[in-house]
Amino acid sequence: MAVSPLVFPPAPADKNAGAKLSKLSNQGFNGAAPEGPSASSGTRDLAEQMNEEEKQKYVKGKKLGEGTYANVYLGHLRDDPKRLVAIKKIKIQKEYTEGMAPDAVRELKHLQEISHPNIISLLSVFSSKDQNLNLVLEYLPLGDLEMLIKDVEGVRYGAADIKAWMGMLSRAIWFCHENFVLHRDIKPNNLLIAADGEVKLADFGLARSFSDPYRIMTSNVITRWYRPPELLFGAKHYSGAVDIWSVGLVFAELVIRTPYIAGDTEVGQVNLICQAVGTPTEENWPGVSKLPEYAVPDPPNPIRGRDQYLGTFGTAGQEGVDLLMAMLILDPRKRITAREVLQHPWWASEPKPTRKQDLPRKEGGAEKIGEDLKRRPGILDDERGAKVARKLDFGKM
Amino acid sequence: MPPRSRLGAGETGTSALSANNPSDDICPVCKSNRYLNPNLEFLINPECYHKMCSTCVDRIFTSGPASCPVPYCGKTLRKKGFHKAFFADLTVEREVDIRKRVGAIFNRRQDEFETLLDWNNYLEEVESLIFDLVEGTRDEKVKAEEKLKVYKEGNRGEIEENRKAGLEEADIARRREKAEKEAARQRRLAAYREEEEEKADAQRTKRDVLDRLATSNEDANKIAQHAQRVILKKTSARRNLTDAQANSNGSILDSGLTINVRGLKKKEAPIMEKPYDPFGGVDLTPSHYTLQKDYDNEWLGNAKNDIRHMAGGYSIEEYYARTMFEAFSGLGVFIEDEKVPEKPVASSTIGTAAAVQAAGGTVNLEDKMELDDVF
Repeated sequence: MAVSPLVFPPAPADKNAGAKLSKLSNQGFNGAAPEGPSASSGTRDLAEQMNEEEKQKYVKGKKLGEGTYANVYLGHLRDDPKRLVAIKKIKIQKEYTEGMAPDAVRELKHLQEISHPNIISLLSVFSSKDQNLNLVLEYLPLGDLEMLIKDVEGVRYGAADIKAWMGMLSRAIWFCHENFVLHRDIKPNNLLIAADGEVKLADFGLARSFSDPYRIMTSNVITRWYRPPELLFGAKHYSGAVDIWSVGLVFAELVIRTPYIAGDTEVGQVNLICQAVGTPTEENWPGVSKLPEYAVPDPPNPIRGRDQYLGTFGTAGQEGVDLLMAMLILDPRKRITAREVLQHPWWASEPKPTRKQDLPRKEGGAEKIGEDLKRRPGILDDERGAKVARKLDFGKM
Repeated sequence: MPPRSRLGAGETGTSALSANNPSDDICPVCKSNRYLNPNLEFLINPECYHKMCSTCVDRIFTSGPASCPVPYCGKTLRKKGFHKAFFADLTVEREVDIRKRVGAIFNRRQDEFETLLDWNNYLEEVESLIFDLVEGTRDEKVKAEEKLKVYKEGNRGEIEENRKAGLEEADIARRREKAEKEAARQRRLAAYREEEEEKADAQRTKRDVLDRLATSNEDANKIAQHAQRVILKKTSARRNLTDAQANSNGSILDSGLTINVRGLKKKEAPIMEKPYDPFGGVDLTPSHYTLQKDYDNEWLGNAKNDIRHMAGGYSIEEYYARTMFEAFSGLGVFIEDEKVPEKPVASSTIGTAAAVQAAGGTVNLEDKMELDDVF
């Protein structure tokens, strides 16, 4: 049907005219843009129009990564092709056919509230055909911290660089906690690096806001190697201290360039914590034995002393070791809080943190951002498929 | 302000200059000529560029400053200011002097400018100033001179800095040139020596061949061929050797270069950094209320003493902070003030719309969403 330049007055009785009108208004919105399948359903409500408008702002480019949970594309603004974005397209999952995947909901809910230089920014959200959810995120082309930690041959860094990275991570987590958001999945490959060297915390797929008293939270969060003892013991009421434990382990990993406590299973993880940090007992952690899944190997190890830490993490300096020990305190109530982390004397001591533009970097991060964003939250890279860590199963609850 | 001496030279000066003819060997002041006085030497003073012979300069200015003897000039000149003109054409001499003077003041460098355009604009401005000084009318000259003075006053420090940088650069260039010359000389010497050696060698082999031909009774042809081969082998060996030497020479030169480059870089003095702020300049202290350590609430009593809450690290302080924040959130926020270019607003509405749409599905879904929040 040819589009007439005449605008008909709305005539609800005349179906034909109504269709024509909607077509006209549609063109007014997005010019010559191709119409999605949703347009074929005839009239569109306001939400659909706004969605279409948002969608037209971006051009989807080549695929950066494909995963079970999401595909990641490189994209750019239609008005300004120089401004790149990463578009994370959440796949429809068979467990959640009736709505959006909870990971996506969590990510959306928290990212749209939080705006901080060290946290990945969510630029926009739209749905494409088949109701696929697309998150438009900042494009961070320099890969992630894990990449730098692992490349022992190619990348060298020192205490000042570690301090700079830790500073950015600590700010990010402090900002989350000040805004009452628990990230619950801090690990080096969720710390992406922007073009200017700024580290940005990404992947809010497991995030949630602080809980009210008496409301339980799941303890099946945080990738195992970075999971704090209270979660391994099945605590249902916890606080920002869980994130701090992860931050501490990232710190340790930055220094020794290998994951510090890397258990194969949850029991193994507890055992390793007992060896590396000390066995949680009623003396050093009142009430720990009442936690639902409390089980520790016998005999208990004493809490690791300062000298032992200095031996392993000496490069971080006296103050740095002090901070690390404070982050790895077993009892979450005694553990340092995010604000206290930033008030720690380590930041003021020598060496001064490296300026972000001078930080070591590595090229080829485009694929890496694809890798990082498509990952299902809370899972280690090497255990995809059958060995997937305990999946969040909403059906059983 | 009275025109500075030189400026007046415009009219008279140019006429004097245009009269200047290289073949003209008569002193315009005392009319003595080269024919009578073969040692005749003309001097000029950059105050007015009127040329006169050295005898006149001695005669008039030895006893102190005096006015220029050229009619209607009247500039006060000193003996010290006289020198031989470098260029035969005094207009050129004058322009070069002006350029030198302006260049010493407008001595900015390209790396000081953000873009090429800025640099070019600057150059153009300087060039038009020079043009005014060289060719301009009296007024233009006064104005240009004033501009020059103002700029000099205003940028004393930078001018000095750039002057030093320029000197350093010149020094580096000079040293590099010297090193290159030295290297070239060495190469020449080496080539010369090699040639000599080769000659001597060839002669020696020739003598050997002759000896052998004379003493032994081998086949003459064979001996000659052998000798030829020996010479060739030696030459090629020598060539390889010299090549290697040349390469090592080159690398030495290169390393000298890189040192220079480093020296240049150091010049870009680092900007003083501010002390590191761990919070990154963000202050989230609540402004509408002060958070207490503890709040009395019957409902919270159990949680405070519940072993599972305590052992799991549940922080009642975090709960206080959050509820207080939520109670006060939005107060003192005026949407009109916070409105920024439509983008974030649009994205959040779209986000909400999408969420509303998604949530508006089946009841079944609602249940799941609720469950999601429970744990």
